[in-house]
Amino acid sequence: MRNCKLILLAWFLGCSFMVGQNKQILYDFTEIPQALMVNPGMSTDFQWFAGIPALSGISVQAGSSGLSVSDLFADDGLDFNTKVRDRAIYGMSPRDELSGTYQVELLSGGFRGKNPDNFYSFGIYSEGDAIGYWLKDYAILAFEGNADQLDRKFDISHLSTRGEMVNVFHFGLNKRVDNKWTLGARAKLYSSVFNFSSTRNKGYFVTTEGQNNIFANTLNADLELRSSGVNEIEDALDNDSSLLPGIITKRMFFGGDLGVGLDLGFTYKLNKQTVITGSVLDLGFVYSSTDVKNFTVKGSATVEGIEVILPDAFSNSNTDFWQDLVDEVDALVPHGTNNNSYIYFRPTKLYGSIRYNFGKITKTNMDCDCNYMVSKRRDYTKYANGLGGQLYVINRPKGPQAALTAFYLHRFGRALALKGTYTVDKFSFSNVGLGLNIQAGPVNIYAMADNLLAYSNLADTHYSSFQIGLNIISWGKK
Amino acid sequence: MRYRVFFTLLLLLGLNSCVEKLNFDQYDELEITPTVEASILYVESPERIINESPGQNFYSQVFNFDAFSEDAFADRVLDGYMFYEIENTTSKELEATVEFLDEQGNVLDDQYFHIDPAPTPLTQIQVAYGTGSGKSIEIIKNTSGIRINVQNLGDNSSVSNLPDPKIIFRSSGKFRLRLK
Repeated sequence: MRNCKLILLAWFLGCSFMVGQNKQILYDFTEIPQALMVNPGMSTDFQWFAGIPALSGISVQAGSSGLSVSDLFADDGLDFNTKVRDRAIYGMSPRDELSGTYQVELLSGGFRGKNPDNFYSFGIYSEGDAIGYWLKDYAILAFEGNADQLDRKFDISHLSTRGEMVNVFHFGLNKRVDNKWTLGARAKLYSSVFNFSSTRNKGYFVTTEGQNNIFANTLNADLELRSSGVNEIEDALDNDSSLLPGIITKRMFFGGDLGVGLDLGFTYKLNKQTVITGSVLDLGFVYSSTDVKNFTVKGSATVEGIEVILPDAFSNSNTDFWQDLVDEVDALVPHGTNNNSYIYFRPTKLYGSIRYNFGKITKTNMDCDCNYMVSKRRDYTKYANGLGGQLYVINRPKGPQAALTAFYLHRFGRALALKGTYTVDKFSFSNVGLGLNIQAGPVNIYAMADNLLAYSNLADTHYSSFQIGLNIISWGKK
Repeated sequence: MRYRVFFTLLLLLGLNSCVEKLNFDQYDELEITPTVEASILYVESPERIINESPGQNFYSQVFNFDAFSEDAFADRVLDGYMFYEIENTTSKELEATVEFLDEQGNVLDDQYFHIDPAPTPLTQIQVAYGTGSGKSIEIIKNTSGIRINVQNLGDNSSVSNLPDPKIIFRSSGKFRLRLK
């Protein structure tokens, strides 16, 4: 049975969305102002643009590298517990992740300066990002327990997660240096709503043959979960959810933790038709001091139950041996909470691309009175076709995560441009994406979606993303 | 014309987008029932101490043991086993009793062991709780103390010719819990 209506609706609403983390379709899509957000050094010919508030850039992405919804919940008649055991518990690795991001531009705009080589852009956007790696050994321990698992070390480091919601205020400069180079930089001010992370855990739990008694259970742990801004939100959700909008709004506008960051980017024309680009985004940090609550467990203890060795035990026959054991473990593996402030770094992203342009040259000066179609960048030449490759790397809790993209871009005059992509990453080897940019007079609309092949059965996809936006653009004289 | 072809293709892609039938009610069938095991109690005494103890009642001790009655365990335990292991390298014939006590000190269950003098094989006993033929799991859920009694049925002077003669009592539990 297939539910096509639902998907059709979803497709129309969101098929054009795309990206959340890897914005491979948006990257270097020079017709779209938001592409400046992924490369502040993008070659651009806008005179000015104004994003429609809250609509200029919306992106959502969700990915699960190890398991799809269908793997577990397909109505296939298989025993659910067997599916969970085979496909999740033992089928996934600790490097498999469940992640999601969103980004909504609240305000976006840009203008060319008196010096036509300089283009300034600014705005505010809200971003949320969370990733959790598969807690494989925790899951095995929860499902199977430690019985009959002698000498098996359950790895505590499998707990690795981070997430945040942050509001970003930014201002960027895009400067054409000469005919070959365009450089860009964007300063960012982060206003954090909440953050949590637990990424540097070490240790294990193991059951071995006891030295004295039958078994010895050993816990060796160095574990920390840091959070800021979570408790007040949790309290509001539990007690009075009407407080929540106020808390979030206040923190989004400098009422919470603050941080700073920087984006850098460049475009370099190797020759008339070949261009290389690169950018590094979110080189920054946030200082967390508001509503901080950290949980820690650190130490090592081996337990073989209550141990009574005579004659020593005669002297303390009134001792509560059980409580002594509990206290001893507490002392050896101290655990608790603290409110220590901390700094966390934003997930830094890196993009790079090479593009070969060919085909018909698109006119930059249009034969009409409409001033929004006239570029001041006389050197700015656009070809009908672009073909190339892109690299994307993001810094994740378990190390850098990369994606490779091949793309083809085609322009149908000034009014329409399409970009098709094929991306290989940890989520999929068959990720085909499509981006569409429409320029209807001064109105710019773009829509993008990737992993389109998965739309034949959305429940079986490991990755999905979309992106839409609406801007007013002018290339005209001021 | 080209645009029409393009938008037709997009529409076809949209129409072709489907989702396999899913059944999220399957989640209700999920059973998470791990089996956990750990040592419970270890008692060791050299033969010298047995000889030094006058009379037959060589050792008696009540241990507070809240692990079983903790809510996290008692509310979830389904069934399981207690394992006992007694190693006797002394020259003494011994008998031991392990009693599970509730919070008021009432005896919920007891286990008797007769131990022959060395050389004697390791005494190993497995007691089931909550399974078909086993004792009630309620015994385990309500246990908050363990009493050990050891009687010396032999003399107070002989010494085993084995090296470092001792009586050693070991025990562990292996229980299945329902987490979901």
